This record gives sequence, structure tokens and C-alpha cells, in this order.
Amino acid sequence: MATETHVLRSTKRDRLGTRYARRVREAGGLPGVVYGHGQAPVHVAIEAKDALLHINAGEKVFSLKMDSDADETVLLKDVQFDYLGTNIIHVDLARVDLNEMVEVQAHVRLVGESDAMKEAGAILLHPTNSIEIRCRVTDIPEHIELDISELEIGHSLHASDLKLPSGFELASDPDDVLANIVIKQEVEEPAEGAEVVGEGEGPEVITEKKDESDSEGEKKE
Amino acid sequence: MPRMPKRVKFRKEFRRARDRKATKGNFVAYGDYGLQSLEQVWLTARQIEAGRIAAQHFLRRDGKIYIRVFPDKPVSKKPLETRMGKGKAEVDYWAARVKPGTMLYEISGVTEDRARRAMVRVAMKMPVRCRFVGRRVAI
Repeated sequence: MATETHVLRSTKRDRLGTRYARRVREAGGLPGVVYGHGQAPVHVAIEAKDALLHINAGEKVFSLKMDSDADETVLLKDVQFDYLGTNIIHVDLARVDLNEMVEVQAHVRLVGESDAMKEAGAILLHPTNSIEIRCRVTDIPEHIELDISELEIGHSLHASDLKLPSGFELASDPDDVLANIVIKQEVEEPAEGAEVVGEGEGPEVITEKKDESDSEGEKKE
Repeated sequence: MPRMPKRVKFRKEFRRARDRKATKGNFVAYGDYGLQSLEQVWLTARQIEAGRIAAQHFLRRDGKIYIRVFPDKPVSKKPLETRMGKGKAEVDYWAARVKPGTMLYEISGVTEDRARRAMVRVAMKMPVRCRFVGRRVAI
């Protein structure tokens, strides 16, 4: 983690909602909200150029300068993306103390090469590429490394297999699968919920059955 | 074979609004790389299958392909030279509602270059503009 916290300049936002947030973005701002420590949430417009540069670089802790108020140390809690997932359109910032324990998302980087990958058709899957950890604000890591050199075919590495540094706790489910190696089958089965049906055949209609039973009941009457 | 639901509540449905952007299913969730739609379309089951085959043929035994869209929308069509009226026509094909931003396919277990080449072939089968994207790093 970076030793110094970057200063983000911001102003308070009085008018809220989609329309005003869009205007903030057009004026070179990044809409955000600051909350935590039992204080009322404050809606802010942060200078986008600086903020995006640091956020995209992976920084999580900032010093927020708001109008004439004193600087506040804040932690990046959540980020909202646009519909294409490219641009950041809103950020959530939580007030923190530098020695406070916080829960953050950490990126899991796979290191090493497994011998199992030399097998024909072997595929390395990593269903989850981030985990939630609990640590001090000053110790937030850029990423956590997971060694996969011992991984064998058909086996998985779970969140509980991570070797976290001292002072770190795992906050996410210990059974979360982080990496596994599988051998690809020659013929893939269709995805769940799908059915291979010949042309002309349609799916079963649930409500039609009910209609039939109702009509039978009427006949009996 | 084109895919379709096993069971449905109603045989036919309304067309419904199309002017929306994707708010879910718009990021790489399972694989390492993905193909994202930039336009709105009703992607037919045949087109989805054509894309899968294109990727499968290129990758052969490597990698794993995830199809992120499922054709659950029945689309009806009147036969040719039929007068208007007489009720809604029979279902012609099944389609997936694709909005701008929807992730169509994902690939894992191959290099970026190979995934990109596979996705280029898939994109050729798609009736919309698409782009190749990677998995987002946790912020």
C-alpha cells in the first residue's frame, strides 16, 4: 500500500438525483457520498481527473478536502460503473481512522505454474478473483498472491488456503473457490436450463395444463 | 441445436420496450475475457449457437466458453401472404433480449491473444457491434 494518502478536492452537492449527477460529471466532477462514524452522510462532487487517476491506480485511502472544512480520511468503499463497465460514475467513501480495522475487497493474483497445466485439455479456472479481508487502514494491500504451483487436476484452492500476513483476517467465505484445474471434456453439455429439442417441438406450457384440469372439473360438475 | 426454455408460463408474450441499457450481466463474471454487446438486439437462438460453434472450432480443446445470454423470449411471426388479424401468430423463434452492455460470451483458460482471436470470430456471427473486454480488477 502507498505510504501517503492523496488529497481529493471536493465540494458539497445540494441538488441530488440522476439529472444533477449528470451535470456534475459534465462539469468535470465525480459524484460521491461520504458516510460513517455516526455522522450524517454528505453528498460531494469530487474533482474527477485526480480521483479517477488514483482510483484506477488501485488506491483506496484518500484525504478528502471538502470546501472550507478540515480534511477527512476516507476509504473507497464502493464504485459504480456505467452500463459498459468502463467509466466510474459514482463513488462511496467511508470515514475512517488510519488505525481502524476495516473490511475491504482485495484482488487475488495467481502466481506460479502448476505441472498439471501441461496435461492435454487442462484449464485453470478462477471463479472469484477477489476476496474480502479485514485489516488496518494503513495495511490495505494492492493484491494478495496465491501460489498455484502445487495445484493438481480436479483439486481446488479455497479462500482458506490463502496465506494472509499477520494482522489480516479473512472476512469472506473460507470455502470460496479461488482456483481449480479441470480437464475439458470433448463434448460440452448444454448449459443448465437448456434443452435440446428438435425443430417443431416447443417448451411445455405450465398454464395450459391448469386450463385442462379446470375444464375437466367443469365437465364433472 | 438452438436452445430454448424447458418450461414456460405462457406460449407467447408481448414485444416490450427495447430502449434500455444493461444494468446487470454487463461485466465479466465467470471467465477471464468476454464479448460485450454495444447495441440492442433480440439475439436469436441460432445466432447464439453459431457464435458458440465459431469459438469452439477455433479453440478446439482449449479453454472454457461461457454463454451469458439465454433465449427465453418467444417471437411470433405471421406466415407469408396472410391477412392481418385472426389472432397472434405462432412462435417462429426464441431470442435473448440483449441491451447495450450485455456480456454475450466469456472465455477462460486461454491466453489473451487466443481469446481475442476467438471472440473476433464470434463477433462476426453477431448481428450487433461488439467489443472484447477483460475481467475487472477488484477496486
